[in-house]
Amino acid sequence: MGLTNEQVDYSVIVPVSGRHSDATDLYYEYRAGLNALGRPYQLIFVLDGPQQEFAAGLEKLLDAGEQFTVIGLTRFFGEATALMAGFSKAVGRIIITLPAYHQIEGSEIVKLVSALDQNDVAVGRRWPRVGGVFERMRRAVFHGLLARVTHLKFNDLACGARAFKRQVLEELNLYGDQHRFLAVLADRQGFRVSEVNLKQSPKDRFSGIYRPREYTRGFLDIFTVFFLVRFTKRPLRFFGMLGITMFALGGAWTALLVVQRLFFSLSLADRPALLLSTLLIVLGLQLFALGLLGELIIFTHARHLKDYQIAEVIHFSRQPTSTPHALPEKSSVAS
Amino acid sequence: MTEQPKLSIIVPFYNEELNIRRMHAAIVTAVEPVGVPFEMVFVDDGSKDNTLALAIDIAREDPRVRVVKFRRNYGQTPAMAAGIEQAHGRILITMDGDLQNDPGDIKLFLDKIDEGYDIVVGWRFNRQDKLVSRKIPSKIANYIIGKVTGVPIKDNGCSLKAFRASLIKQIPLYSEMHRFIPAMASIAGPRIAEIKVRHHARQFGQSKYGLSRIYKVLLDLLVIKTVASFTSRPLLWFTLLALPLFTIGSIAILHSVWKWATSAAGLPLPVAGSGVILLMASITLVCSGAIGELVYKLGDMREHEFAKLTQRVRLPGSNAG
Repeated sequence: MGLTNEQVDYSVIVPVSGRHSDATDLYYEYRAGLNALGRPYQLIFVLDGPQQEFAAGLEKLLDAGEQFTVIGLTRFFGEATALMAGFSKAVGRIIITLPAYHQIEGSEIVKLVSALDQNDVAVGRRWPRVGGVFERMRRAVFHGLLARVTHLKFNDLACGARAFKRQVLEELNLYGDQHRFLAVLADRQGFRVSEVNLKQSPKDRFSGIYRPREYTRGFLDIFTVFFLVRFTKRPLRFFGMLGITMFALGGAWTALLVVQRLFFSLSLADRPALLLSTLLIVLGLQLFALGLLGELIIFTHARHLKDYQIAEVIHFSRQPTSTPHALPEKSSVAS
Repeated sequence: MTEQPKLSIIVPFYNEELNIRRMHAAIVTAVEPVGVPFEMVFVDDGSKDNTLALAIDIAREDPRVRVVKFRRNYGQTPAMAAGIEQAHGRILITMDGDLQNDPGDIKLFLDKIDEGYDIVVGWRFNRQDKLVSRKIPSKIANYIIGKVTGVPIKDNGCSLKAFRASLIKQIPLYSEMHRFIPAMASIAGPRIAEIKVRHHARQFGQSKYGLSRIYKVLLDLLVIKTVASFTSRPLLWFTLLALPLFTIGSIAILHSVWKWATSAAGLPLPVAGSGVILLMASITLVCSGAIGELVYKLGDMREHEFAKLTQRVRLPGSNAG
């Protein structure tokens, strides 16, 4: 690449996972935007599975002498994993991720990155945004639900343009589809997150109708965040409550059936209600047991779970002339 | 650093720009005459005022001060936990940053630790707070906490506490558990002493921490104590949970088989079905217990290490003590 590690300020990762534009168009657009930053950067394309068309386009650009890294994954792993694969090759102190299709105008990258002066994470929001009433409503419902679950207001988590300090990815071990909740997860980790309005690319026009699959995915996303945010620390609060409710319901019903059998001679043998009440009891107990297992997992790993994040430890040694050791987090402070 | 401090004094600060300098001076005045090497760990809990800048100034003037800066405001108890994590001393003392605790009491705490106690907690016997909004709720809470945890402490809310570092650094303090560190530490079976401390009314600034959300924390505490008690034998526990199901299920099946064999009515289907459901559930519960064993085996919590933290060893030939 011709650049040594010290020279690179920005590492730009483009995970190519699903929908993507023409490689050449995209590259020139991003290159113009990144050059405007005025600092050296490295550009990494991560092909998540065999993206033949896109790979061929990149090949042509490389042959033409363009400077970027291509990481090819042998199968489809998911965008977040592709992102982490790119991150392992990133050397810059600031990481920028860009979508593999035209979502924003390349010239807006500068604006995104400059938001990092005040924050640790900057996520893009396409604004002003085109789209029909129906689609706007879908987005509003999705982000409204998300805000209810997380108490965080974001407007465009699907926007792939994000910039963050290196430390953020070092701490968040993303997997699966978690790249979409990077903002939420980073906020939970104590980072300062801000949303930046970016001009939408005129090529980012989706005129079709979303298939049910998109809705299912949106719902599952919220479900995932819900669990990540609420129950990864206290599983028994959720499973236990659900379990106890079912158990109580089933127990009361069974008791009623038994009383009817004993004192009102209502035969038990030919009433399928007994099956249902037993099932409720059993389900309740099993949910409770799952919650206990979750608590057990957390308890046995509790030493690594912390409710707080230390930004730095400031300590001045005895010599008055020496500079302070501002120890970054995680570096061992024990002398 | 040349010498290892014997004592670490941990003080969390949140928007205490009026108090932090006084606090530092009070600690230094009180602890220097004791004659042990000590350090101060000031935790800035994401203050919005000048507290952090002042703390760094103090650290520049006094090399015994270390400042732990939080990424944002997390609350008093995580601040205490962070201070405990970052402290170097063999004895750790935690106290409020608002001058309500008196650093003059630190000496008493050290004496108690030297007597052989693992944890010493302060009791604000002449508490200078509002009766209805602060004192009465905390009395009730302390009573319940004592019942739940089996560690009867009169004043859990008093921040002035002393710990043996080797013990407290090993205790898992997650999910707001730091509020009840002694109760949580009880899973290791420590010797706990309680001493009366002086308590001053707040002079400057606003009071920030109350006893909110206490029921949730109590529930968590109960859960964790339970988990702690079965953590090393989950299979046994889950089998005990499964036993009633297994018994009732077996009786139901035997009963229906007997009916089927003796009466003309045939197999009573709902009863037989319920029996089968209960039996199967008992099997999955036992299997969950087996998974629990796997979890414990792969985790990094070892019960014998807890035991080691508080054990007393008497080697042959040595004198008692």
